[in-house]
Amino acid sequence: MPKNLTKILTILLIVFYVIIAWLLKRDGFEHSSGLFYSEKLMLLFQAKDNTILTLGFTFPSLVFLSALLFVPFGYLFAPVAASIVIIALLFYIIVEEFKLSKFSYKLYVPLVFALFTLHPMFVFAAVTGRKNAIIQLFAFLIFRSFFRYFKRPVTFHLSMASLYITCFIFSNYDFIWLILAFFPFIFLVSLDGVKTNNTQSPLFQYTEMLNNRSLRRKLANRTASLYLIIFLLPLIAVVLFRALNAQFAGSATYFIDSQYANWRISGNRIATNLLVDPVRNNFLFQSQIIIQGFILFLTPLFIAALILFKGKLYELFTVLSMLFYYSLMLLDYKYTLSMGYFLLFIPIALVTICYYGTDKYSIKISSWIFGVATVLTIVMGFYFFRHTDASEEIQFAQEMQSLPSKMGNERVLSESNIVAEYIRGLVSEQNKILIDDASAYDVVVHIGNLNGLILPHEKTFVTVVENPKVAAKYILIAKVLNPTHNLTVLNSYNLSLMQTNKNLHTLLMFETKNWAIYQVE
Amino acid sequence: MPISSLDNMVSAGLFEANKLAEIEVIANDYGYSYVKTALNFGFLTRKKYVAFLEREGFSFVAVREEELDAYYINQCELLELNAILFAPLRKLPDGSLLVAAADPQDDKLKTLLSIRFQMPIKIVAASDLDITWLIHIKRGEYFVKESVFSLMKKDPDYSGLVTFTDRQLIFFFGLLAIIVVLLFVNFMSTALVINLVFSVLFFITILFKLYLSLKGSMAEMNEMVTKEEVATIKDNSLPVYTILLPVYKEDRLIRKLIWNLRSLDYPKGKLDVKLLIEEDDDKTLNAVRNLDFPANFETIVVPFHMPKTKPKACNYGLFFCKGKYLTIYDAEDVPDADQLKKCVALFRKLPDDFVVLQGALNYFNKNENMLTRMFTLEYTYWFDYMLPGLLSLNVPIPLGGTSNHFKFDKLIELGGWDPFNVTEDADLGVRVFEKGYKVGVVNSTTFEEANNEPFNWIRQRSRWIKGYMQTTLVHMRNPAQLIRRIGWWGFLGFNFFITGTSITFLLYPILLLFLLIYAIVKLAFVTALFPEWVLYIATFNLVAGNALMIYVNMLSVFKRKYYELILFGALNPIYWLMHSIAAYKGLWQLIYKPFYWEKTEHGLTKVSSSANVQQLNEAEIVV
Repeated sequence: MPKNLTKILTILLIVFYVIIAWLLKRDGFEHSSGLFYSEKLMLLFQAKDNTILTLGFTFPSLVFLSALLFVPFGYLFAPVAASIVIIALLFYIIVEEFKLSKFSYKLYVPLVFALFTLHPMFVFAAVTGRKNAIIQLFAFLIFRSFFRYFKRPVTFHLSMASLYITCFIFSNYDFIWLILAFFPFIFLVSLDGVKTNNTQSPLFQYTEMLNNRSLRRKLANRTASLYLIIFLLPLIAVVLFRALNAQFAGSATYFIDSQYANWRISGNRIATNLLVDPVRNNFLFQSQIIIQGFILFLTPLFIAALILFKGKLYELFTVLSMLFYYSLMLLDYKYTLSMGYFLLFIPIALVTICYYGTDKYSIKISSWIFGVATVLTIVMGFYFFRHTDASEEIQFAQEMQSLPSKMGNERVLSESNIVAEYIRGLVSEQNKILIDDASAYDVVVHIGNLNGLILPHEKTFVTVVENPKVAAKYILIAKVLNPTHNLTVLNSYNLSLMQTNKNLHTLLMFETKNWAIYQVE
Repeated sequence: MPISSLDNMVSAGLFEANKLAEIEVIANDYGYSYVKTALNFGFLTRKKYVAFLEREGFSFVAVREEELDAYYINQCELLELNAILFAPLRKLPDGSLLVAAADPQDDKLKTLLSIRFQMPIKIVAASDLDITWLIHIKRGEYFVKESVFSLMKKDPDYSGLVTFTDRQLIFFFGLLAIIVVLLFVNFMSTALVINLVFSVLFFITILFKLYLSLKGSMAEMNEMVTKEEVATIKDNSLPVYTILLPVYKEDRLIRKLIWNLRSLDYPKGKLDVKLLIEEDDDKTLNAVRNLDFPANFETIVVPFHMPKTKPKACNYGLFFCKGKYLTIYDAEDVPDADQLKKCVALFRKLPDDFVVLQGALNYFNKNENMLTRMFTLEYTYWFDYMLPGLLSLNVPIPLGGTSNHFKFDKLIELGGWDPFNVTEDADLGVRVFEKGYKVGVVNSTTFEEANNEPFNWIRQRSRWIKGYMQTTLVHMRNPAQLIRRIGWWGFLGFNFFITGTSITFLLYPILLLFLLIYAIVKLAFVTALFPEWVLYIATFNLVAGNALMIYVNMLSVFKRKYYELILFGALNPIYWLMHSIAAYKGLWQLIYKPFYWEKTEHGLTKVSSSANVQQLNEAEIVV
């Protein structure tokens, strides 16, 4: 492989993503998730109060903290820059890892590069500032650590897996349930470690161990040790984080439940807003019951990894553990799994192919399977975007399709940008506007500074909401069709209550599809 | 072969003739008398020898109580007296010189002395141990003074004789004065900064330990020397290896010691074992005397001189060493049988600048009680993870108390151990780096007895922590010079690992108390004093720090497959509180009794070392 090829391709990938992000931005496409983190960054640097709540408890912490590194590029671009760099880093690590495999670089470099540039979900993850990017990275690193441990059993790899799982959970709290999903393979690893009679099947070995006190104790001790070394750090980190939330934010689950700390509260509304398109939403909900099958359908590369796989039983269970995870998550019927996470099966498939994909068949056959599966996976990426229900994914797909035709067109402002432009020309230190960034974080970040804004982190906010006349000249109201209408007190329903009960006189100054600005008289 | 008691024993059928040739070779190599060689290299028991001489008509004199004319003994070198085991006592009224000797039938000695003193010689029999005691007391003054002061004379900057230098005192009191003034000027801000510095320092030190453990865990499967390499070493190519065994009132362990030494896979004649006994330690001396089987070590009596420390005894022992390599074991140590051979192989493999190798230490009585389990976890992560971690980072490695293997000539060049430092091994490890040499880590374990009694443990630990403080004070006398010698990385590593260890233990109860006041009692003044973000950081640092240390403890079970200990890692915060008690005791002693050597009682365990070590070794193979 030519020297520096990976580095050059990584830089090219970054440039590619930056151009796409710029074109999308120019076309008015911004993902609410990225805007959420942008607004928190702005609050962190500009607001005087509640630094702890913003810096400490904005969740997922790692997504926010990774964006923090890119603040010099501007609040708006920082989360996008972070996700671009993270996805590019993932590309770099994958290609470097493949150097250890028997595959020719002439095969894996183009395939992986094609995946990262042509698979729409990778592009989406890179240019939106969403947490998907960092999740892909840590999914890859976790499985790589486990596979490295299986190849060379030094505790270092387990510790690294533990650190990555901690990062994984702090990129998406739901992954805490990996503690259950990983049980089968951890148990099998223990079983393999407490060697009894390797010529027998694991089932026989297990039976033998249950009937031997010493071996039974060894098996239990080893399983417990592996569990602790893998999950102690994540669990302690979570307990500590929850304790800090309880201590400083008043609730142990503030980081999960508060719309000021976690985008998902409003993001879920945006993604699954039945009001926007009640017909399309069947895709997400109907896929839940067969989600593992659907994931396999969307990721032929993962199927290829299973076909190519040759290893021990516990290694196979490790590869399958994320499917177990999905099964566990479905035990809670209230839980709706986002389909977008099918993407994380691609890095897992790649690392599996890298470590276990060359011994079963000849390298030529393996290469063919790898190649065909990659192409099919890219195709399935397009399929996904054709059928997705998430409004922002639909918008992304539409924007990407129309990008070539809009190259020379005028710059288009997003709705929140238009509202922000209007507010910027309206407010001053004397004429303040009351905004609830639980829903209007996208507007706040586009305004660019906090001068003239009355926001929830201020101690006077509740008083002003109760009686806007005291301090606010204007109010930003979420209209009924706004997906986050129910997440904010400053919505049209409450406005009408205030108008009736508190005799609040307002004058509509400006409105868009989701927002309305009223003057308080 | 000249006539000696051994020849007569052979003639009397009390000694196997085939052993004489072997004894002769060793005696010539070491320059020892035959009897000394026979008694100290496992050929002959003292009881058997005494019985033979008494049968021959010799009555043993109590040489320690005999009248002695110093004039005659002063004309003999201690090294010679020690090698041949004789002591000129006084001139008798008949004009002859009365000489006590371990071998009264040694004609060669008689001829030698009659030529030297130009008078008839009358040799009487005396216990070789009593002669050893006498000659070291009477003629060891120069050597013992050298062992105490030679480092100070040669390299005063490295001597711990002065605990606090003037500059350090000015720094400490200056810093204290500044803090007091700042507290008066702006109490809130000063308290805030102190709080932050304390908690961040605490956390960084622990993070560094985690980092070291992770680095060390990468080397978990590395074998510096393989069994195959050891097998290829031919016995005749092995050099003489000195083992120093400094003991004090360890009479209960002497039998064990012999068995442990016997299990070493090294040619008998090339093991130069020195049992270093203090002048007033008759208990141990008598235990050696009363042995029913041949001793495989030479007894050296260290004359009294303050400070009464192990490094002083070891320095004294250096004058009598014959080995190319040297190691130290404690009396209760059970080293891996092939440890010495591994060290020889590794020294041959490594570049010349590696002058010392540290073996891993672990405990044979790990499951005795909670303390021994915690101690085992600690030692395991220390020796199996942190030291390899330090090695990989090229940071000074504080040597462990025993099982450090030196190149003898380099040890002499380095000035030996600092007798004023109560963790002379850690100090020497740093000095090795400062002098441009390196410490290696050998993949061989010595099993020791874990302290199973809390007060005994605190005594031992207070000495260790005090020693770390001494080591910090010695090497940080001139920080700029230290940086020049060991580089920034080494400097940071030294401070995080050695300085940081003592500071962490001192800070731990303060931070814990602070957290309890804040989080549980919720005293209003704490929240009034510090902004929320400071409390956030402090809480995070303490809780995360504790959690990481628990993790590091748990990590340690993997290499040796001590899975049953993993849950005990969770008790680390309690273990650390014990460390803190020891740290404050050590600090107090540093100020008031800096050179006082807190004696650790050994032999308290009820666990059989040999049986357990065998079990541990088997477990490593089978599991």
